[in-house]
Amino acid sequence: MSKSSDLIQGTLDLLILKTISLEPKHGWAIAKRIQQVSNEVLQVTQGALYPALHRLEQQGWIRAEWRASETGREAKFYALTRAGRAQLERELAQWERLSDAVRLVIRTV
Amino acid sequence: MARWFDIVRLWLRSLMRRGRVERELDRELRFHLDRQTEENIAAGMPPEQARRAALRGLGGLAYIEEECRDMRRTALLETFWYDLRYSCRTLGRSPGFAAVIVLTLALSIGANSAIFSAIEGVLLRPLPYPEQNRIVRFFLSSAAYPKFPVNAFDFLDFRARNRSFGSMAVMSRADMQLSGTGEPEWLTGFRVSSGYFRVLGLRPLRGREFDTRDELPGNERVAILSHRLWRARFGADSGILGRKLLLDGRPFTVVGVMPPEMRHPGNEYRPVVYGDTVDLWWPFTFEGNPNQRGSHYIEGIGRLKSGVPPTQADAEMNAIMAQLAREHPDNDRGWRVLVIPLYREIVGTAPRLLMVLLGAVALVLLIACANAANLLLARATGRQQEIAVRLALGAARSRLVRQMLTESALISVLGGAAGAIVATLGVKALAAMLPGGFPRGHDIHVNAAVFTFTLVVALSTGILFGLVPALQASRPDLRQSLRGSGRGVTGGGRHLRLRNSLVVAEVSLACVLLIGAGLMLRSFVNLLRADPGFHPEQVLTAGIALPEETYGTRKSLRRFYDQLAARLGSLPAVGAAGLGTDLPWTGYDDNLGGFQIEGKQPPPNEHFHARYHAASPDYFRALGIPLLRGRFFTDADAAETPQVLIVNRAMAQRYWPGEDVIGKRINFFEDHPKDKDWSTIVGVVGDVKDTPEKSAAAPAFWWPLRQMPFGFAVMTIAVRAKSDPAPLAAAVRHTVGDLDPALAIADVRLMHQIADASVSTPRFTLFLVGLFALLAVALAAIGTYGVVSYSVNQRTHEFGMRVALGATPCDVLRLVLGQGVKLAAGGVAIGVVCALALARVLRSLLYEVSAADPLTFATVASAALAIALLACYLPARRATRADPAVALRAE
Repeated sequence: MSKSSDLIQGTLDLLILKTISLEPKHGWAIAKRIQQVSNEVLQVTQGALYPALHRLEQQGWIRAEWRASETGREAKFYALTRAGRAQLERELAQWERLSDAVRLVIRTV
Repeated sequence: MARWFDIVRLWLRSLMRRGRVERELDRELRFHLDRQTEENIAAGMPPEQARRAALRGLGGLAYIEEECRDMRRTALLETFWYDLRYSCRTLGRSPGFAAVIVLTLALSIGANSAIFSAIEGVLLRPLPYPEQNRIVRFFLSSAAYPKFPVNAFDFLDFRARNRSFGSMAVMSRADMQLSGTGEPEWLTGFRVSSGYFRVLGLRPLRGREFDTRDELPGNERVAILSHRLWRARFGADSGILGRKLLLDGRPFTVVGVMPPEMRHPGNEYRPVVYGDTVDLWWPFTFEGNPNQRGSHYIEGIGRLKSGVPPTQADAEMNAIMAQLAREHPDNDRGWRVLVIPLYREIVGTAPRLLMVLLGAVALVLLIACANAANLLLARATGRQQEIAVRLALGAARSRLVRQMLTESALISVLGGAAGAIVATLGVKALAAMLPGGFPRGHDIHVNAAVFTFTLVVALSTGILFGLVPALQASRPDLRQSLRGSGRGVTGGGRHLRLRNSLVVAEVSLACVLLIGAGLMLRSFVNLLRADPGFHPEQVLTAGIALPEETYGTRKSLRRFYDQLAARLGSLPAVGAAGLGTDLPWTGYDDNLGGFQIEGKQPPPNEHFHARYHAASPDYFRALGIPLLRGRFFTDADAAETPQVLIVNRAMAQRYWPGEDVIGKRINFFEDHPKDKDWSTIVGVVGDVKDTPEKSAAAPAFWWPLRQMPFGFAVMTIAVRAKSDPAPLAAAVRHTVGDLDPALAIADVRLMHQIADASVSTPRFTLFLVGLFALLAVALAAIGTYGVVSYSVNQRTHEFGMRVALGATPCDVLRLVLGQGVKLAAGGVAIGVVCALALARVLRSLLYEVSAADPLTFATVASAALAIALLACYLPARRATRADPAVALRAE
């Protein structure tokens, strides 16, 4: 079970930020959500998810809060900070540029 | 902004609330596991399997937890924390070892901080005047008189012609007697020209400062008071301005009060050192013929215009001096102007002294470092096996080095903390011991800068003495250590070599210090042994100043002095009582007079001159200044009898070399003296230097008080007591009060106090350097003992074998002592060479001792060897008791 084969390095951050951009979610929900939306293509290695969450929190992009989950049990919910929202915009733009470029190369050659 | 706030908050939380953060991480991951397990069960797995699958999905709880912790970036600190606790435990296990290192470090760091606080206060802190670096002092200078006061009319020309100075002023000590209300009080005063306070950058708290109108003759009856005087004597009276004071019997009007932060900038002639109390100022007036510029008694001070460097001002002033020399060739030829920044003038020779002291304590600190490194090395050798095991188990070398550095840093910080206490006490002691007149002595305090210095020194010391042992220890010979070679291998040659060289370094540094201290001791002994030229024991002195109002004529002065000398001389406890215009060893008053010698011509462009004084008949007897030829003054030398003089030996030798001076005549009139103008030399007295460390006395002569050519209104009383002089103070005060109730005596001192004070600087230096040298020697002895004792422990087995093979205890003793002496001899040799190289620095602090004094060097070398032998003796004795049976059994 290798970490980097599932996801391109760096995109995990983007996915996490995007996933919680609508509403705060806890770790398990984030993993589930990414899996569902990508039609089960993107398997977030759970081993990579939590360190990534802690890193993003440490960088000030997201903020954590304990509150009751849908089952009633307390869970740690992550939400975007204002700075995180800006960061998401930047990462999205960068991703668009990259994927455009890649698409261009693939089509022309 | 908010983002950084979040980051810091989180980081601190991870650090401070570690337990809580860990629990939260645990809860978060468990929540995930449970949800995944539930989902797996819902998908049809049996509970046990569902749980395992969930765990597998997460990929190892411990691993993830560790990763998350890494993300919090507190790992570095946590290892530090861990290392710190580990270090505390290991140190706690060998408290003796820890105490020795911490104590030696505390002493040496504390000493460094104490000396640093002196350097900070005296050298680094700017003077308390606005833009103080623009203030300069100026003097005249010639070949014979390197630093001389200026002439008043020359000053006026300087002031009018220069472009470098924003303002410029002169000052001249002029104490006065305050009478009228209450006890008469002697006030330290200065006559200053207009702009004096502007030069210092200070304004009066109340009233005004002097302007050029106050400089006109007749306008000098105004005064500016110090804050202290205003409060102490006048109760901070708000109506002080305009009030009349009786000073020297004349009424003065108060026109100003200075603020409390006014500091006297220090002066050279009849000096009041920087920062000492000055009570009042009154105007300097420019009187007399502006074309006669021979008299020099005022000192210049000025504030440069911004951007003008002192060198430029110096050049301009000298250009003006050259003009003046052309305009007034008689008086102004042969002088240069000396412009010196006030700061340099105030600190004087203190930087050199302080730097020598700093050098000495820095050496002590280096020795303490070498010592600590040595002890740590010894211990690291003991821990070699543990370290080897940890390395073999995969510990990173950097991790081990870091851990050992943490330990040494902990030791050094403990040492630094204790050192700060030592420094605080040390600075108090230092301030109390400081020689009188040491520049800026009041400015020496322990403050934040000193503590910062202590911390920096402590930490860098820790790294200095910790790094080498740590690098060494983390590179052990794995195979050998792991084999647990219990047999007498002496910790590897590498270690031993390193430790030996550390000991050699310690001994050599200690030798350098010891040699320095030895030289200073010799110099100090020379100073004490040098014949002072007088007998300071049992002599009480006091100052007196007669106000012009009551004692305006020479006749009235003479009458008062005659009565005073007679009354003092007839006091029952008094052996001899004299009056004179100066005292031995109190420095140079601005009393230089020119004269003509009968039958002699001065060399071109030079004058005959000497210090002039006046004295009553018993003055020399009271001070114990010996008569070499001729006679003292007697009561028969009166105003109307032929004029007589007493000269000192220096004057006799300078102007009449090889001749008998008794009966020779000089006079003080420029041209065509009448016969009665000539003064005849009737006696020669011994030389007394200005200050004891001066190389020679200056030529000087004395008038009899009764024949003084002008009125000396300031006089020194010297009484030689038959026994204890101290109780005489009251009698002297009464005698003066009986003659004139408005008079106060000042500066009541015992002559031996003056003599003591005049050698206080060398004594102070000697004491400190000696103290540091002792500390250094003790440290080096500990170091030598440590190394030899350690190697004896390692070689017990070998010694046992030697004894078994027939070596006598004496042989073993010789073997061990030989090892110690070899180290010490190496250290001493290096130390001697270093001391010779460094001797230059000391030369100016020494009195009649060569900086390469063979006696001192030889004594120190043998003392160092002897101490080394002593340090080796205990371990050597232990070596002789090595049991051959134990050694053989182990074989």
